[in-house]
Parts: sequence; structure tokens; C-alpha cells
Amino acid sequence: MLHRRLPVRRPAKALLAATAAIALFATAACSSGGSGSNSSDSGGSQKTIHLALGQDVDTLLPMDSNVGDNIGVLDVVFDGLVRYDPKTTKPYNYVAQSIETTDNKVWTIKIKKDLTFSNGEPVDAASFARSWNYSAYGPNAMANNYYFERIDGYDAMQGETDDDGNVTVKPKAKELSGVKVVDDLTLQVTLTAPFAGFSTMLGYTGFFPAAKACIDDIKACSKKPIGNGPFKIDNWNQGVELTASKRKDYKLPEVPNYDKIDWKEYAGSSSWPDFQAGDLDLGAPPPEQWQQANNDPDLSSRKVTKETADLTYLGFPLYRKNRPWDNIEFRKAISMAIDRQKIIDTVVPSQSVPATSWVAPTIPGGKAGTCEWCKYDPAAAKAALQKAGGWPSGKVLNIYLGKDDTNEAYFKAIGDQLALNLGIKYKLIPSEDFFAERSARKFDGAYRNNWFPDYPLNENFLAPVYSSGDPKNGNTNFGYYDADFEKAIKEGDQAPDIDSAIAKYQEAEHVLAKDFPTIPLDFSNSVTFYSERVDNIVINPFSGATELRQLKYVG
Amino acid sequence: MTASVAVDLDVSTDRQGGTWAAVGRHMLRRPDVIIATAISVFFILVAALPGLFTRTDPQRCDISVAKLKPRGFGHPHPFGTDVSGCDVLAQLVHGARPSLLLAFTVVGASLIIGITLGLLSGFYLGWVDAVVSRLLEVFLVIPLLLAALLLLSLFRNIDAGDSDFATIVQPAIVLTGFGWMGYTRYVRAAVLESKNLDYVRAARALGASDLRLMFSHILPNAIAAVTALVPTAIAGVISAEAVLAFLGIGVRPPAISWGIMISTGAPWFTGGYPYLLLLPLGCLLATVLSFVVIGDNLRDALDPKLK
Amino acid sequence: MVSYVVRRVLLGLLTVFLVLLLLHLLTTLAIQLNGNPALAFFGDHVPSASQLHAVEVRYGLDDPCYDQPGNPCLRPFWERLAQYAHGDFGTDLQGRPLTELIAQAVPNTLRLFVIVTITWLIIGMMLGSVAARFRGRPIDHSIRLTSVLIDAFPVFVMLVVYRFIFTVPLTTWARRTFGSDSVPALLFKPSYSDSHPWLTLIVPGLLLGLTGCAPFLRLVRAAQLENYNAEHVRTARSKGLSNAHVTGYHIVRNSSVPVVTAVGFVFADALSGAVITEGVMNIRGMGNLLWQSVQKSDVSVVIGVVTILSVVTIGVMLLVDLAYAALDPRIRYD
Repeated sequence: MLHRRLPVRRPAKALLAATAAIALFATAACSSGGSGSNSSDSGGSQKTIHLALGQDVDTLLPMDSNVGDNIGVLDVVFDGLVRYDPKTTKPYNYVAQSIETTDNKVWTIKIKKDLTFSNGEPVDAASFARSWNYSAYGPNAMANNYYFERIDGYDAMQGETDDDGNVTVKPKAKELSGVKVVDDLTLQVTLTAPFAGFSTMLGYTGFFPAAKACIDDIKACSKKPIGNGPFKIDNWNQGVELTASKRKDYKLPEVPNYDKIDWKEYAGSSSWPDFQAGDLDLGAPPPEQWQQANNDPDLSSRKVTKETADLTYLGFPLYRKNRPWDNIEFRKAISMAIDRQKIIDTVVPSQSVPATSWVAPTIPGGKAGTCEWCKYDPAAAKAALQKAGGWPSGKVLNIYLGKDDTNEAYFKAIGDQLALNLGIKYKLIPSEDFFAERSARKFDGAYRNNWFPDYPLNENFLAPVYSSGDPKNGNTNFGYYDADFEKAIKEGDQAPDIDSAIAKYQEAEHVLAKDFPTIPLDFSNSVTFYSERVDNIVINPFSGATELRQLKYVG
Repeated sequence: MTASVAVDLDVSTDRQGGTWAAVGRHMLRRPDVIIATAISVFFILVAALPGLFTRTDPQRCDISVAKLKPRGFGHPHPFGTDVSGCDVLAQLVHGARPSLLLAFTVVGASLIIGITLGLLSGFYLGWVDAVVSRLLEVFLVIPLLLAALLLLSLFRNIDAGDSDFATIVQPAIVLTGFGWMGYTRYVRAAVLESKNLDYVRAARALGASDLRLMFSHILPNAIAAVTALVPTAIAGVISAEAVLAFLGIGVRPPAISWGIMISTGAPWFTGGYPYLLLLPLGCLLATVLSFVVIGDNLRDALDPKLK
Repeated sequence: MVSYVVRRVLLGLLTVFLVLLLLHLLTTLAIQLNGNPALAFFGDHVPSASQLHAVEVRYGLDDPCYDQPGNPCLRPFWERLAQYAHGDFGTDLQGRPLTELIAQAVPNTLRLFVIVTITWLIIGMMLGSVAARFRGRPIDHSIRLTSVLIDAFPVFVMLVVYRFIFTVPLTTWARRTFGSDSVPALLFKPSYSDSHPWLTLIVPGLLLGLTGCAPFLRLVRAAQLENYNAEHVRTARSKGLSNAHVTGYHIVRNSSVPVVTAVGFVFADALSGAVITEGVMNIRGMGNLLWQSVQKSDVSVVIGVVTILSVVTIGVMLLVDLAYAALDPRIRYD
């Protein structure tokens, strides 16, 4: 710390200042001593699970939740029309009695009867329509807004703005014309175009229902949502602790055997020491503690590893012309100069597997090996680089990514390998504002990208990431456009059944493999350590989260 | 006691060679000062001429040799490698420069600003003094590290380039901007004190110009007042750099600094690789300690009341 | 007297206004340079223009001036001033009122500061007095050297090492020996716990206090040394009073005043150390709040928090100036 010479003048004044300050501190500190939540272990004989919420969860509104931690909490507070089998990822009806369609365009959803929200309101067709309309209405600025793009009437609910951001056209409609409440338990959805995967989407958080009391007071609902799932939120001390307890009036079968859940929030620091001390039931060590955790025989006997569908890949700004990466040989060179396995073994041991495809193999339609140049071959890399015309000497390759210690170490290793194998100097540019800059197309160099699927279908890895319908500019993040790709996606959307849809989407992935616009790097594993109080840790293969409804409390 | 009081008077009237030589002799008599000076000079040398100490490029990192423990000299990686496979010795040697360059730049710039403002406000008083005093008040209210936090985080995406100066220019500006106040106050006080001395009044009566008065008669007194602060301040900036590096707003990679090595190495200390933390921390502590020892002894030598 | 009060209050208000303006300009420039946080809202998905606009409205950042680097954005500034005048301090990016955030964060940071201050006082006074008393002897040198060593030691190193090496074994041992909810077990808990705010803050506060106590210690020592040679002390000694009496009565009391001055500056300086401590130990305090909001470009929170800090600082100084003026007539006629 820098030293300042402190003033030694006017003693009385100083004394007064200090006294005032201390008095202020003491009264304020003492008077608010009891502001903490009081639900930690007061359950007595109630079985409580203690978990960590890693990110700064800002809202518990399903319409606004698209981040891993929110989704994890909402998975026990809400039920969707369908849920996903943890082993196969295939959807099965849960709140829905049946979901039928003849043409993949008009879907009739029948809801099971006598289901209620935690406040007594019925879970009916209207409750789904209510929630979906709220999300789809543009001015509400809900995070899950774009999921309703495929439903008729979506466009009329978005306004239009000119280049300066001034609203030129206000939204014409407040409700999706394609969503019709036929009767109490029947919902009819009309899509803008046939999409065989629609029923698969319905298990996602954005499609959860909403009670009328929730929409009436949306602010209160984001803090204490009114759900239709097995647990209800008791109290949320935002930024600190979230507690939930089991509902007594829950009717459906998927209910865990414990009574309360206590989430502790960790904003930026690691929850690992708390797990080691026995205060948490699930945990994962930071990279520096990894070796010690794995070498501990007791701890490593309580570890579960599962491959997930979380893809990390390297992208290039193809919207910038006259760059070395315009040439596919250059991109091949980069890809083959990276020793994926070695990097994983050193930076994130056992926590990833090298990727050889753009779609996760654990997802319906995903297959390993679609990427021809995702292997480590430094000689071939050098040859490809030469074929591409080499790298201008002295030029530096920028590598952009978000701020995260592990990712920075990982991509530093990539840069180092490019320097060693291809002689390309690099500069790592981690930035807090990564997403903003990527959307604004500010990058001039390679950048890290990450994708984990919203619903288990290979289409989710392809269309939202690469499709644009804009031959001139390509898609926002990469500037990529290929007519064959768009055609294959469209044909998949229009396919008569889910299996032929999947086959068409696979063709789209082959187009990607041929064009090679981005370089797949790895798929994460989800590794979780668990305490002696719990058992049956089942990891959801496409979110990587532990299935809370499968978790068993064994004391 | 009385002897040193007399020395005090002498010191304030005649700051030429005699007293500085006395200061030097006083300090070099002490063994801890000698050691401290040797260490400081050593690290300054390391910062200035890294090529003398290592031929490895700190940015040439081969992940297949990552996390090697130190093997001692004679081995290609005498101090081992870090988690990316970069040579630790090379990093230590090259990391000295940003830390020390930042410290010297900040203290140097703060000194210049402080002496100038202190001289002007003490000499002219009046509205010059009023303006400087208001400025002092405003800047004193704002804590240094808080300002650094705010400014460096808000302007985190500005890229100044890769040269030695470019990597430190942002923290340097902020640390200087909030570090000049102490010097100004010391110099101003010293100027006020010297203005009334007989020989200064005599020189003025003889028609010496303002500038000549300031530089030949008053400035030497003022400089002695702040000299003792300098080594301690340098030490302070070196420590501050480590804190800024931990928050991610100091020297930016790919440049390497001791602060960056310490903040990335700290978690690995508990993970089984203690040398990743201990080596840069040791260098930092040794450098800081030696500068502080020099500074403390310098102050003691110049201010007999505290002897 | 009245004119003096009026003058000081007006000056204080002016300073607050200047601080607000400066903050506004800085954060506006930062948004223009770093990108609108509304874009970050969408993560990996790319928003349409109207979706982006809706989020910007939600964030209060929809004025087009935020897209033009260099534009001082004065309209949002006046709007914000007007809101502040009505007591509406705005919300964070998620709509949580700033007053709620601060009400939650301030007690934690204040508790931390109380512990830091006590640590400074105890260690500083104790060791500083000893060093002054035995000036020149080995113990004086070793105390000074140790203080320098601790000073140079970056606080985060201590915190990280403590958290990852010591807390778990200590907690496990304490729980086994004294019981799960006992005082020692909570003392060494790896993270801050809201239901035991004081206990879980003691160790982080102590560590933070340790790193900042060195200047304090030196000040105590210097202040006491000045008094050792002062006339009233020599008089007391020549009267035959014992060393202990002289030390306790005359020296410590008279050197307390500059020391207490230093404590008055705890708030400002310690806040920076608090950012690190709160981050590593997972404490929801002002430092952490400020840090997170700066990272997210959460303009309302940044401006709100720094303004409140400045107002408190300026307010306290103003009160003290006024009190001093009431006591010392010379000041009034300045």
C-alpha cells in the first residue's frame, strides 16, 4: 500500500472526526446484526440439501431465465409439458397428457387434469398461453423471447426500431395469434413453418407456465416465483441465500426424498472449501485443487463424471475480408496445430474430451468424427499453412475471450501451440465485455465460443449458431453463410417426423464440415464430487447439472 | 542531544556537499543498509538488462513440459515451469521490468508534479496556493486504490500496444494522478519554512529573480524533505502493482510481471506447486524490504529528531 | 458564524455535484468504449434491433448518445439528478433498488471495518509503543522490519492461502472438538455466513487489518518518540515519576490524537482492501458490490455507490469543520 503522511494538525478536529466515524460504524453495524436469513439448519428433523449457486442469479422468472444456475433452480420449482430422460435425453410427456400433430405445423397439446400451482391456481392451457405471450411480447425484454420465433404471430409482437434505436413501429399484438386456448386443458399451437422438433423444445425453461398472480405482480414473481413443481421457494436473500421446501399438495410422481433445499450464493469466489468442510453436498474443485482432490482416496470415491454436450470452439470473423483466415487452408492449419488432448490433460484434466464434430455425440443426431481436420498433426498443419500463403511475419494473431481464469489458461495454451508449431505470434485478449463486442462484430482475430444446447436435438447446435438467411452479411457472430446449409436446415424443419428431420440436420452438419468456418475444440465433462449425505448423482447429459429430482438424501 | 540539534540548524542553512556526504557516511555504516542497497541494485540490474540473466524467452511456452518443479542451475528450466509450460526463471527476470519501471515512473512523475506545485504554491501563495490547496483537498478525499479500481476497470478495453511503456501506462497514469499529493504538501511546507531564512531574504534583497531564488536557494531545501519518501514510495508502488494484477487491472498479459506471477501462483501454492508463488513473492518482498530499509535509514539520517 | 456555515455547506454541495458529474462522464465514456451492457444480456444469442432496444429501455440505457463515443450524454445526467433529488436512487440492471442493495451491503462492510480498526489499534498501539519505548534496540528494528514485511505482503496471498490451506482442517478439527455450531468452528468457516455475521468476519477482518497496520504502527512510534523528547515528559521524569507512569500517562495519551486521526481515514483506505477481502471470502459488502457493478458496467450502481461514499466522507468532514469552527473562534474569521 502506498504510504501517505497523515496530517498531524488540529488535534481536536481529528478527534471529533474519528469519534464520529467510529460511532457511526458501531451503531450501523450493531443495529443490523440480525439481518441474516434464519433458515440454514433450522429444519430440525427435515432433510436438507445444501448446494451452491455459482453465478449471480438475478431472477427466478422462467420467462427471463436462460442461464445454467437459474435453470437448475427452476427445474424443481416448475414442471414443463415434457421432461427429458437423463440417460437418453429423449423427451417424455410430464405435465402434458399428449402432444399430437399431423403436419408438424399445428400441434395439439392436452394437459393432465387437476394440477395446481403452489398458490392453488390451476395449471391449465391458459397458464401456458399466459407465460408464452408474456415472453414473446418484445417490450417486456424477456431473455427467452426468441424461443417463440417459430410460432405464428411472433413478429407482430415485436416493435421495430430504426438505426438510431428509436421506436418506429410499436408492436401490433400483445398475444401470439398462433397460440389458441381451445378449452381448459387443450392448447393448440400453430407454427409459421413445420418443425418436427417442436415437442422436444417444450421442456425448456422458457416454456414453463405462469400463474395469473405471477403476471399481476411480475416483480414479486421474479423474487418468489409461483411454480407448479415439487418445491416452492421459501425465501430469497438475494446475493446470499435461496431456500426452497417441498410442497405438500404436489401430485405428479417425480419428487425427491428430501424436504428442503438451501442454495448458498457464491459471487466470484470458489465454493470448494465449503464443500470440503462439509457445508455443501455437491462441489467441484477449481483447477488448482484438482490434483489434490483426485489424489484423495476418500474424495475421489465420491465423484461422478459424465460427458456433456457443452461445446467450446474457435471462431473467426469471416465478415472481415482479406484476412488470412478467409482461406480454409489457414483454418485447417490452425486446427491441426492444436494438440487438444495435451491441453486438456494439463489445464482441465479429465474435465473435457477433444471434439471431433460440431454437434455433441450425446445428443440425438450427433456423431463423432464429422470434423476431418480436428486431429493433431503439426506436419500437415505446417503444410496447410504454406498452402494458404503463410502467416505475415511480425503480425500478431489476436485471441479474444471472456474473463475467466480457466478459459484464459486454456486459450493461452492454444496460442502457445500455434506459436510453437506454426510460428504465429499471438495475443490473448480477455474481456469482460466479450458478448457485447462479439455481437457488435468488433473482433479482428480468433475468438472463443461456447455453446450448450437448450433442448436435446442436433438442430440446436446448427441453426441458432450458423443460420442467418442473409447471404450478404452472413450470421452476426461469424459472418457465415452457405446456401446448402440453409437448405438442409429448412428441409429438416419441414421433415415429416423427428428421425428424418435429424437426418436432414446431419446433412447440414456435413456442409459445415466441408466449409469449416469454426474449429471445434472440446466437449466438457461434468465432474461432481458429492458429500456422504447424498447418493444417486445423475448428471443431465446436455446441461451438465446434477438432476435434483434424482438426488437421494441418505443422511 | 544538543549536538544533533545544532546539526539540525546547519542542515537547514547549507545543503551542499557536506551534509549529503554525512548522510551517505551515516547510512553506509549500517550493515542492513549495505545489504539493502546491494539487493535493490541487483534487481534494478535485472530489470534493466534481463538478457544478462536468462536467454530463454518467457513467452515461449511448451505445454508438454508444464508444471516442472525447480531443478537448479545447469538444467534448461532451473526454476521449473509454470502451468502453461513457460520458464519460471525467464518470467522472474522479465517480470522485474514492468514492476520496477512502473514504480520508478510513478514516483518520478509524482515527484516532478509535487515539487512543481509545492514550489509554486509555497513561493507565490495567493490564488496559486488557493487553487493548489483545493486540488489537494479534492484528491485527498479520494482513496488511491479506489480511484485505481474505478478508472482502470472502466477503461479496461483500451489497448495501448505492447511496448514496455504501453503495458504500464494506464496504471502509471492513475497511480501518479492520485499519488502526487504527499510530495506537494511536504515541498510546500519546506518552501514556506525556507522563504524566511536569512540568506534567502538576503538574496532577494540583492535582486535575485524569482526563478533563481526558487531553484538555487529554496529547491535544495525542499528536495531533502521529500528524498526520504522516495524509496518507501517505490516499494509501495511495487506492492500496489501486485494488488492491481490480482484484480486484473494492472499490467496486462502477455507482458509478465511479478504481480501477475503472484496472483496466478497463489492458488497453486495450496495445490502442490508452492514454488509458483514463493519465487515471485520472494523477489517482491526482497525488493520492497530493501527499498524500505533504505528509505527508513535515509529519513533517519536526515531528521535527527528521530534518531 | 452563519456565513461560515453557509459557505461550507455550499462548498460541500458543490463538491458532491462535481463528483456526480465526473462519475457520470466517466461511466458514460466507459459504456461508449466497452459496449452497451444490453448486448451482454443476450449471451450467445444474437438479438434483433427491437429486442435490443427493449432491453436497453429496461436498463435505462436507451438514449442514442450511448452509441456515440465522446458524447457527454447530459440529458440522462439531468434525469438522474432529478431522480436523486426526489430520493429515487435508481435500480441495478436487474431492477433491484439501489437502496436495497446498499442496505444489504453496508452492514457487512462496516462490521469488517470495525474489526480492521480494532486490529489496527491493538497491534499498532501495542507494537508501536514497544518499538518507541525500546528505540534503537533490536526489538525496535525487528518490529519495524516485520511491519514492512507485512506491509509488502499482498493481502490476497494471505487470504487465498488461508482459505485453501487452513480453513478446512481447522473447521473440521473445531467441529470435532467443540461441536458443529460452536464458536471456534464458525470462526474458521471457509465462507462468510449471513446467520453468524460477526463470527465469520473476525478472521478475514484480522487478516485485512494485519496488512494495513504497518503505517499505523510507524505513526504511533513516531508520535510517541516526539513526545519522549518533549519538555513535559522530561519534567515528569525529573520529578521522579516511574517510567511506566510516564509512558502510560503522558506519552500514550498525547500521542493518541494523531493516531486517532489515522483511524478517521480507515473508511476510505480500507475500502480498497475490502474489495479483495470480500471477493475472496464471499462477503456481500460495499467493496464487492462496487467491484461487480464496475465489471458489469452497471452505471446506476457505480454512480450511486461512489456518490454515497463521497457524500458520507464530505459530510463527516463538513460536520467536523463546523464543530471545530464552533470551538475555535479564529477559524470563523478566515
